[in-house]
Amino acid sequence: MRSAEFSTPHSAFRIPHSAFRIFMPSFPFGRAAFWILLLCLFSGTARLYFTAHDARVAASHSETNIKFWTFAKQHYDAYQSAFDTFEKKHPGTKIEDQLVSWVAVTQRLQAAMWSGVDLPDVVEIPIDTAGGYFRGPIDDVGFLDITERVKTAGLLDGMVASRFTSYTSRGHIFGVPHDVHPVMLAYNAEIFKKEGVDADSIKTWDDFIRVGKKLTIPNKRYMIEFEEARSAHLEMCLFQRNSALFDIKGNVIFDGETGVKTMLWFVPLIAAKDRIANNLGGGQILTKAVEDGYFVCLVCPDWRSKSIEKDIPSMSGKMKLMPLPAVSPGQRRTSTWGGTMIGITKQCKHPDLAWQLILHLYLDKKELGQRFNDTNILPALRAAWKQPEFDEKREYWSGQKLGNLYSALAPDVPAQVTSPFIAQGKAKLGEALVDCITYYRANGDKNFESYARTRLKKSGDELRALIARNPY
Amino acid sequence: MNNQHRLQHKMAPYIFVAPFLVLFAAFQAWPIIKSLMLAFYVTAGPKNAVFVGTKNFQFLLNDPDFFIAVKNTATFAFCSVLLQLPVALGLAILLSQKWVRGRDFFRLAFFSPQLVGSVFVGVLFSVLFVPQYGIIVQFLNWLSPDRFPLDTKFLADQNLVMPAIIMTALWMYAGHHMVYFLAALQAVDKDLYEAAQVDGASGAQQFRSVTLPGIRPVVIFTLLTSTIGSFQLFELPFIMLGQGSGPNKSGLTVVMYLYQTGFVTGDLGYASTVGWKLAFFVLIISLAQLKLTGALKNE
Repeated sequence: MRSAEFSTPHSAFRIPHSAFRIFMPSFPFGRAAFWILLLCLFSGTARLYFTAHDARVAASHSETNIKFWTFAKQHYDAYQSAFDTFEKKHPGTKIEDQLVSWVAVTQRLQAAMWSGVDLPDVVEIPIDTAGGYFRGPIDDVGFLDITERVKTAGLLDGMVASRFTSYTSRGHIFGVPHDVHPVMLAYNAEIFKKEGVDADSIKTWDDFIRVGKKLTIPNKRYMIEFEEARSAHLEMCLFQRNSALFDIKGNVIFDGETGVKTMLWFVPLIAAKDRIANNLGGGQILTKAVEDGYFVCLVCPDWRSKSIEKDIPSMSGKMKLMPLPAVSPGQRRTSTWGGTMIGITKQCKHPDLAWQLILHLYLDKKELGQRFNDTNILPALRAAWKQPEFDEKREYWSGQKLGNLYSALAPDVPAQVTSPFIAQGKAKLGEALVDCITYYRANGDKNFESYARTRLKKSGDELRALIARNPY
Repeated sequence: MNNQHRLQHKMAPYIFVAPFLVLFAAFQAWPIIKSLMLAFYVTAGPKNAVFVGTKNFQFLLNDPDFFIAVKNTATFAFCSVLLQLPVALGLAILLSQKWVRGRDFFRLAFFSPQLVGSVFVGVLFSVLFVPQYGIIVQFLNWLSPDRFPLDTKFLADQNLVMPAIIMTALWMYAGHHMVYFLAALQAVDKDLYEAAQVDGASGAQQFRSVTLPGIRPVVIFTLLTSTIGSFQLFELPFIMLGQGSGPNKSGLTVVMYLYQTGFVTGDLGYASTVGWKLAFFVLIISLAQLKLTGALKNE
C-alpha cells in the first residue's frame, strides 16, 4: 500500500511547491494527515504565543493594578470618585473595578479560589455567605488573614466592633465591615395620618400589632410585609431578641427557647385568620404594592431605604421611618438585616496596596459622607457619622434626618454570628418557618407550641448532623 | 508494501482515533473515575479531602434533604412525562391534519419556547406567577376566585411550587417532543390507514392499531430522553425560585442538591455521592422503561 492512498484525490488543498510534491509521498498517512498536523502546529504555536503575550501584559500591569469586585450596584456607583482619588494618591496605580453578579461572589468566587483561576485582589461579599468561605483548615481560607492589620489600624475601636463577628473565624479576621445596617420600619405616612395613627405611640410590637389589626383590610391592605417562604425577617426578629442561628462557638441555637418563642410570635402575624402581614415578592410588584397602599410598613434597613427611594419615587414625601418596635418596653428598638465585608484574596500580589485601598474606601470620612448621600448606607466607622451629610433632611422621607435616625440606633445593632454552615442554617430555619405557617393555617393555635418546638428541633438536629460530618 | 508502509497502515486507525481518545480520557473518563474516588471523601474544596470510606453513602441514606430532592424530581419526572408526551402527541396529530390552517405557523409557535432557552423561560414564568399582578394568577382567579385568590403565591407556597414548575416545563418541552412525533407520524405508511379503513376500523382503532405501533420507536426514544432530562432538571427551578430551592425545599431537585452540596457547601465528595446515586436511579428507571415498553425484547 502506498501512503498516497490516504490522501484525498480531489482535495482543494494543492501542494504549491514542487519540493512538497517530492516530500509528500514519503509523509506518513498522506495529505490529510499532513494538513491536520500543520493545523495543530499552527494553532498550538498561536496559543502559546498569545498565552505568553497575555502573561507579559498581565505582568507589566500587575505592579500597578488592583482588581476590585463588588456585587452591589449602589456600592459600585458610589466608589467611582473614591477610586479616582485613590489613583491620584498612588500614582501609577489603576483600579480595575468590576460590578459582578451576586452569584459570582457567593458561589463562583469560592470555586475560583479553589481552582486558583483569575481572581480579584480585593472583593466585597455579602454577610450571608461570608461564613461559607471559612470552611476547611484556617490556612486554606481563600482570604488573607487581616487580623494584625485590623488591630494595628485601630479598626476594632473605631468601627462598630460587633460587625467584625460575621467576618471572623476561629479568632482570625478575614474582612472589614462595610456597614452597620440598623433596621427601622418605613411606613406610609399618609395612611397613618388618614387613620389617625401616631407613629410615636408605637413603642413595642404589641402596640404595632394592635395598630396593624386596625389598618389591615384582608386582601387589600396589610400592616407589614414579612417574608413567609424565607427566613430573613424571622432571623431579623431573632437578632432583636439577642438570638441567632449559631452561637459564637458555632453551635446551632435557633431551636432554643428564644427561637421557639420568636416562632410562636412571628407565625400568627402571617398565618392567622386576622393576620397583619403578607408578602408578594420584590421588584416591580413591591413597587406597585407600596404605591397602591397594599403594604403600610416595610422592614427597612439603611440599604433598603435607598432601594425604596429609587424603586418607588412616586412615594416621595409620603414615607417616613420609625424605629423597630421593641419586644418589651425599654428594650432594643432595632435589629440588623444584611451586610457586606471587604477582603483581600490570597492571590493578591500587592496586599499592602490592597489594604491601603480598603482603608481609603472604608475610613475616609469625607468620602463616607458623600457616599452616605449616594447609598443611605451607614458606614461601620463611627467617626464618619458626624459628617454633615448625616444631618441632612431628606425630602423623600418627609424631611426626616436619615443619618441621625440610623446612627442613633447603630450602637445597639446586634452581632450576626457566622458559621461555615450559615447557608444551610438559613435554609433549615426557613423550612421550619414554612412548616409552622402551614400548620398554623390548618390548625390555628391548637398544639402549635408543641408543633413549633418539635419542628424547630428537627431542623436543628438535621443541621447538627450536617455539621458533625465536618472533619475540619 | 515495505515495512514502513505496513507499519503506517497498521498504526493509522489508532493515530486518527487518538485525539478523540485523549480528549475522552481527559474530560470524560478521568472525571468519572475521579468522582467515584471523591465519593469516599469529605472535602472542603478540592485541596482538602478526608477519607471517610462509605460514610457518605450511609449519610445519604439518612439525609432528609436528599430524599426531598428525590421525591421532587420523581414527581416532576412522572408528571412531566405523563403530561408532556400526550400533549405533544396530540399536538403532532392535530398539526399533521391537512385541514388545519396555518399548520406551519403553529408548528413554529409550539416549538419556539425551545429556541429561547430555559433561563429565559424561567424568568418569564417567574413574572407570570407573581401574586396579585401575574397574568396566570389573574387568569386562575378569574376562573375560580375561591380556589385561587389574587395573592396565591405559586413560587412561595410549598404545595404550588412543583405544579408551577411542571406547567412551565410543559409549555417549554411539549413543542420539542411534538417535532419528533410529527416526523414519526409522517413516516407511518399511509397504505396501512387505507387498509384499516377498508376493514372498517374507527379513528380510535386506527390510532391504537396503526399509529401507535408505527411511531413506537420514537415514543420509546422520547419517553427515555424526557425521563432522563426530567431527572436532570436544574435551570428552571433554579431561576424561577431565585437561585434557591423554594419554600421548604419544595423545588429542590437532585441536580440542584448536587450543585448546592458541591459548589455552595464545598463538599465535592458528598456531591459525587449524590451524582452516583442519581446515575444509578436514571439507569434503573431507564431499564425499567425499556423493559416495560418491550424495547429490550426487540433489540
